[in-house]
Amino acid sequence: MEEKAGNIEQDSGLSRRGFIKGCTMVAAALGLSEAMIPKLVEAAESAERPTVIWLHFQECTGCTESLLRGSHPDISSLILDIISLDYHETIMVPSGHQAEKSLHDSVEKNAGKFILVVEGAIPTKDNGIYCQIAGRTAMDILAEIAPKAKAIIAIGTCAAYGGIQAADPNPTGAKGVQDLVSGVPIVNIPGCPPNPVTFLGTVLHFLTFKRLPNCDNLGRPLFAYGRRIHDHCERRAHFDEGRFAEQFGDFGHKNGYCLYKVGCKGPETFSNCPAARFNDVDVWPVSVGHGCVGCTEPAFWDTMTPFYERLPNVSIPGTGIIADADSAGLKILGVAAAAAGIHAAVGIGKSLIKGKDKDKA
Amino acid sequence: MNYEIKNAWGILLRLYHWSLVLSIVTLVATGFYINSPWTNTTLEGVGAFPMATMRYIHFLAGYVFTAAVLVRLFLYLFGNRQERIWDVLPVTPRNIKSLSTTLGYYSYLSDKHDGRLGHNVLAGLTYILTIALAVLQFLSGFYLLYPESALWQGWGGVIFGSQQQGRFLHHLLMWYFILFAFAHVYMVIWNDLKSPEGLISSIFTGNKFKHKNT
Repeated sequence: MEEKAGNIEQDSGLSRRGFIKGCTMVAAALGLSEAMIPKLVEAAESAERPTVIWLHFQECTGCTESLLRGSHPDISSLILDIISLDYHETIMVPSGHQAEKSLHDSVEKNAGKFILVVEGAIPTKDNGIYCQIAGRTAMDILAEIAPKAKAIIAIGTCAAYGGIQAADPNPTGAKGVQDLVSGVPIVNIPGCPPNPVTFLGTVLHFLTFKRLPNCDNLGRPLFAYGRRIHDHCERRAHFDEGRFAEQFGDFGHKNGYCLYKVGCKGPETFSNCPAARFNDVDVWPVSVGHGCVGCTEPAFWDTMTPFYERLPNVSIPGTGIIADADSAGLKILGVAAAAAGIHAAVGIGKSLIKGKDKDKA
Repeated sequence: MNYEIKNAWGILLRLYHWSLVLSIVTLVATGFYINSPWTNTTLEGVGAFPMATMRYIHFLAGYVFTAAVLVRLFLYLFGNRQERIWDVLPVTPRNIKSLSTTLGYYSYLSDKHDGRLGHNVLAGLTYILTIALAVLQFLSGFYLLYPESALWQGWGGVIFGSQQQGRFLHHLLMWYFILFAFAHVYMVIWNDLKSPEGLISSIFTGNKFKHKNT
């Protein structure tokens, strides 16, 4: 829309402090230097608010719920204020024909300019009849709207790779956006749900630099998915030390040991969870004692299950460096004690046989 | 000249010596890695754990070092005549004389060599200092190994202060052992050149060659 976002603070009740804080968080998530924060702020304040059309297909709305998290007003307000959200089934006021009309009006008016966000997978089996909105299949809706978008953000693992709907045996033939759309730049923001900071970062990157962020070969922004969870995990030292929770609730689990043996998929999963964390209280699954399930990876329902058994083919360091060294060390000390004992016995034996002749020892 | 073979060092002392040598070399090499892990950014990952491996080897060598030092303490009390601590403590006229003779000999002030079967008293005192520092070294090592143990925290804290102070002392003592090793090897070669008596081979065979009637 032509509307400017200049008065974000006044419009939304978001404080200036909260606004700057949100931009700073995003700059950190993007890996930008603090010198870039004013540019992000400027882009968020003065750029034309991009029109965003948000389509929901086969999904649980968890991604939207996570994004709009009531306890996190800075991030969610910022998201809603820097974009002009013209169509979003969960939070829009109109319904029925009115809702459909606003969708089509907006698409016509902003053709080639709007950002399309897709949440949920798209069923393709039997002509896609397993997901229909306003009498049309998800496939139809996507095929009509996607080519008119300037860029597409596939939010959540379902939209990116099909998610749980596409898990074996995939009864509805569910697919991700990138399998059905070509010719429009697509960014995948997988996760179940993804971190709102990652979505906001992608949008602000787009507003500030006028292009989508660099992505890996799975179409995920490198700023958020460029690093392995295992390498940035706060429990990594326990892994290296060989200290593991063997089962939930045991001594190791209570003491914050590594969750690898109870199924953590951190070694095979790429995401910023350990750094960006979730909600106001900065938690993520591993920090609260549950292993990573690998939700940012394609087909994680098929490849990361069973969730509570450890990954095969990942070498783990013994029973622990210190425990191993202690066990070997006790043997070494035992050998030394035995050697001293033999030495003493031989000395005593000799003196018994030869009599007390010390000089000949 | 007439020489005779005399046994100076028992098998246990020689085993102690070489265990200590190998453990010190290993401890210094792995210790430097732990202090400054130069491969960390390139090798640490799923398949390779250089830091974990180095720490494991360091701890194993630490136990060997500890065992060796304990054996030496045992031999100070129950070893053969040359191995016992009384043989090198400068408390008898013979030992005090040995100390002054050796100081003069080592500083090129006199050519008089103290041809003892055991250590000369200067060397013996240096070894006592080394063993004392070795005790301090393994105690500080265990203090660092068990930062959460109440036992080690208690009296480790009394002796060494904080973990960081303990670590610093541990590091400084490592340099003592490096310098000692250099000085030790230099002095035995020097002695072997100046007054041949099979000093170097004695730590392998246990035997020294002495002039008859000495």
